[in-house]
Amino acid sequence: MFRSKIDQLIWQRHRRMLFGIAMLTILGVVMTSLIGLHSVVDDGGTHNLVSASLINQWRPYNGNYFTAYSMWLPFAAWLAGLEMMHLDLSDHFNQFLFSSGFSRKRIYWSKLKVAFGVLLLLNVVATVIEYLIYWIGTPHGYTWTIAWPGVLTSWLVGAIMSVGLFAITWFAATIVGQTGPLIVTVGGFTFSLAGFSGICSSILTGETFHLSNDQAMWVGLVAWLIAAIALFIWGAALYQRLSLEHNGEYLLFPHLRVPVYIVFVIYMTLMFSWSADGLSMVIAFVLSALFGYAWLWRPRLGEMCHQWRERKQG
Amino acid sequence: MTLQVTGLSKEIDGRQIIQDINFEWAPGEIIGLVGRNGVGKTTLFRTMMNHYVAEAGHVVVDGDDLQQVPLRQQQLFFIDTQYNFLGTYRLWELPRFFSAVYPQFDEQRFTALINQFKINANSQYRRLSKGMRALVNLILALTSNATYILLDEPFDGLDVIVRENIATMVIDEIADQQKGFLISSHDLNELDGLSDRVLLLKDSQLVHDYNLEEIRARAKKIQLVLRDKEIPAVLKQNSQLIRVSGRVLVVVIPQYTPEVDQELKALKPVLFEELPLTLEDLFRANLAHDTGYQMMK
Repeated sequence: MFRSKIDQLIWQRHRRMLFGIAMLTILGVVMTSLIGLHSVVDDGGTHNLVSASLINQWRPYNGNYFTAYSMWLPFAAWLAGLEMMHLDLSDHFNQFLFSSGFSRKRIYWSKLKVAFGVLLLLNVVATVIEYLIYWIGTPHGYTWTIAWPGVLTSWLVGAIMSVGLFAITWFAATIVGQTGPLIVTVGGFTFSLAGFSGICSSILTGETFHLSNDQAMWVGLVAWLIAAIALFIWGAALYQRLSLEHNGEYLLFPHLRVPVYIVFVIYMTLMFSWSADGLSMVIAFVLSALFGYAWLWRPRLGEMCHQWRERKQG
Repeated sequence: MTLQVTGLSKEIDGRQIIQDINFEWAPGEIIGLVGRNGVGKTTLFRTMMNHYVAEAGHVVVDGDDLQQVPLRQQQLFFIDTQYNFLGTYRLWELPRFFSAVYPQFDEQRFTALINQFKINANSQYRRLSKGMRALVNLILALTSNATYILLDEPFDGLDVIVRENIATMVIDEIADQQKGFLISSHDLNELDGLSDRVLLLKDSQLVHDYNLEEIRARAKKIQLVLRDKEIPAVLKQNSQLIRVSGRVLVVVIPQYTPEVDQELKALKPVLFEELPLTLEDLFRANLAHDTGYQMMK
């Protein structure tokens, strides 16, 4: 499957977990497709699983009954990014990789290559399975009609979403060294993206830019893809300098603490006070600043309090 | 063929763990690495193996800097006993990983040695006893056919049989002068019988590079009882105190010249006896504080 030694090594290491992710995804796709087909309601309207007005449009199919690019695929990408980067750190496989004789640059891009290879294959297999289920299982009296413009747009949008989500977990796992806090961080950030995309959309379609919803979507997707590529390149530069003595600490690169703090405070303030009044912004800022400090610097408040009491008691 | 460590330094959390480490190592040599707990022995190994990024310095194998030519790293072998990935794998799975990294990995010999030591190849590494794990680590090291093998505390907590096995395997392996071992250990007696050279780490630095044969040719360990309570100048200037028991002094004299011999005998000590010089004595002489002298003063 992979020709070079380093690719084989990475594949050897990650195949079980990637297989697990693939199985989970395919199971999810099968389940979602069957539920979609069984939830078809005869509403007396057109009996199309894909809205007739959408079939030949260059827009993604995201209907109630059929989604041309399953939501399980971005989820698989999200999990794979986390797994590929974090597992090697937590299981100390990085020690083996770093002394393997392959340059870190090669290791990094090889991991990316293996992950993308598997995800691409998974995309194809899961999509074929989904479409087969719809082809075979479309209820009597309904039609499942799709056309290339909608299918291609759905795949493109879905694939870009997947790459972006993969990049987020991949990059986060490159810089965060603790399993629990890593999951909380990327989970929280991923959920917050719904709100963030809403803010971006309102800016792009607002009075300043006057973009249509479709235009805003494409601008957002291009920005998303550029951000993903930037994260891959930045991750490669950081990986080159990854020193394992910080393994097990929240940040594997202590010098990133202040930049991460600043980004966190600005992002959270924006998220919680967008289009709110000044007081809400101040409260959001103060709470973000305090939470960010406690999260990143982890002052041992309980321990400090205990020591203070001990000193006071003499 | 040679491995050179030049000016290697590593700082962790603002604390200098190793500083300006320099030494050379050639195949055929067994080098012991000794030093007190926390002095940086494991950090030196991890930095040499690129687990830690060095603040300064280089590891050069046959003229190639490992940072510039990472492929040379395949000539070095090290299993971090504290942090390694082996735990969840079964022993029969390990050759797949190691053969991808070490081109000369000898899978047949790996299987043969595992069988020879009656270790179940279907066992998970983490389910093995400490001694069995140490044996598996050494088997992997030997079958990797890497030129430079770093062993971190290979005798730690092992019974005498396993220790003997490990020591014998190391000695057998060195016979054809194709491999070298760098062994850190607190078991100085074990190292004494194995090593040609000993590197002594102290205060983050490599303070001594002993050639044991040369040391033994010129140094002496003496047990003596003097007539006076006062420590004579010849001892203060030329010896390192190993032990004080009442009036019995045990000292190591690194440069035992005929002049020193004459001066000592001129003191007409009540007892004067030469004892076998061990690595432990060198360790004590260099790393134990000279509280004995302080007390006697």
